[in-house]
Amino acid sequence: MQGVDRNNNVERERKQTGRRALLTAAGLIAAGGVPAAISALGGKPSGGSRKRAWWVKAVDRPTLGQKTGQFKRFSGDNIFVIYRQLKAQRDGAGSFEAEQAAKTKRLAGWMRDRKPGFRLPDHQLSEGAWTLMKSTEPGAGLLSWTRIAVNTPAELGVGRHTAPPEEMAKTVKAAARLYGAGLVGIAPMNEGYVNLRQEKKDIVFEDAEVPAVTDKKFVIPRTMKWVVSIAIPMDLDLLSRAPTSLGDAATGLGYSHSAFTVASLAEFIRGLGYQAIPSVNDTALSVPFAVEAGIGELSRLNKLVTPEFGPAVRLCKVFTDLPMAYDKPVDFGLVEFCRKCKKCAESCPSGALSFDDEPSFKTRGPWNNPGHKAWFEDSYLCFQHWQQVDNGCGICLASCPYTKAAQAWIHDVVKATASVAPAADGLFRIMDNALGYGRQHDPEQWWTRDPPSGARG
Amino acid sequence: MTMPSDTDTLTITIRKRPWWFWVLAGLWVLLEVLFLQTALASAREGEYRAAAISWIAVGVLAAAGVLVGFLQGRSNTPAR
Repeated sequence: MQGVDRNNNVERERKQTGRRALLTAAGLIAAGGVPAAISALGGKPSGGSRKRAWWVKAVDRPTLGQKTGQFKRFSGDNIFVIYRQLKAQRDGAGSFEAEQAAKTKRLAGWMRDRKPGFRLPDHQLSEGAWTLMKSTEPGAGLLSWTRIAVNTPAELGVGRHTAPPEEMAKTVKAAARLYGAGLVGIAPMNEGYVNLRQEKKDIVFEDAEVPAVTDKKFVIPRTMKWVVSIAIPMDLDLLSRAPTSLGDAATGLGYSHSAFTVASLAEFIRGLGYQAIPSVNDTALSVPFAVEAGIGELSRLNKLVTPEFGPAVRLCKVFTDLPMAYDKPVDFGLVEFCRKCKKCAESCPSGALSFDDEPSFKTRGPWNNPGHKAWFEDSYLCFQHWQQVDNGCGICLASCPYTKAAQAWIHDVVKATASVAPAADGLFRIMDNALGYGRQHDPEQWWTRDPPSGARG
Repeated sequence: MTMPSDTDTLTITIRKRPWWFWVLAGLWVLLEVLFLQTALASAREGEYRAAAISWIAVGVLAAAGVLVGFLQGRSNTPAR
């Protein structure tokens, strides 16, 4: 009997050991392993700088956007100006004004009919979100090229702040993140990315000590060799309601946050004893600087897509003479993903986005800057669709598989896998559709959500 | 365990589970945790279709785990 008892004990112990091992393994994986692994995948922010995930690799050259000798400084005319001119050319004088009048009448009708997403509160939510951005103008007020209120080091009785370039970069990035940057990187100044004109004045580089705005020109000192490129995450809860006034509120809020962030950062840099020029959409192209600063990659949208927030960001920048260590461009497998995905192009109601398998040098209108490789978009068609909705559209931003709220771990697993195993890209695109991502969320539900907002990537 | 009355010995067979069983078990737990987190988080994201499909995945995986566990238990029971 003793033998039997011992054997029974062995059997019991074996079962218990097996169960214990399984439970221990499960516990370790569930309590520690998975969150730790996912945290490493996601690269959650810590302190002042965002630690990038391991699958976002620094590279020497951008993955897309190679320049040729044809690449020149852009005119600076925005799509609003170009669209108005093209509309008049194609549909006759007054066609733009007639379209705007029809749009105003249509919007009023939607408000009276309480059309979801276009009711008066929806529209005014958007208007409120735009407030700060609409109160800015290049070189003045919030976007002043000289100090607004900050005391200089000399006024405080101290010398300008000095530190090694790497430490300076960390300091500036920490400040930028505090002021609202979701992502921040440092790129070298490239005069080719700076517009030729704005506000009917030339933008020139001169051997000046300080930036200046005169009656005839905007003067950027040649000592400004550093560009702090910033991405402001858009509110995904609002963006997922695009194309409505609520979706447009996400855009307005992104721009207003951008204006606040660059204005605050410029004042911070001036307070350290250096020059700074804050810029949102004005003065220079934001995308090429962001690509070179490693914020993200150029995509099929012909816009920047970031690993963390997808294309749901607004870009802005600060030019400065404060010496900082430059960042490198990144590669997280996006260009390869864009080749196969095409979800943005399929989702675009106006057919403005390219379905080409490969990016090319072939531009599609005066809104495109020639001399670089891209999937060029038809901004005329895009803007024409804007006139059918409230102010903007945003469907392409919302439908991109990289636009995901950072709540579910599976998003990081998918992005990491797409980065290292492009063979799975097609499957991920199918799964993205099957799981219902990119569909418009109920506009009316936004007002009753608890909390009503906060899914900012 | 009941001792048969017509014999004074009892043979107990201890079958060690193969290494791959534990690998599969670990993978099963990993996927369950991942899909469960996705189901809960997708609802917070407002992605209700993704949440529903993730709940289905959690259920199917759980059922598969229970079934495999049951079949393993049966195969480990010595024949009388």
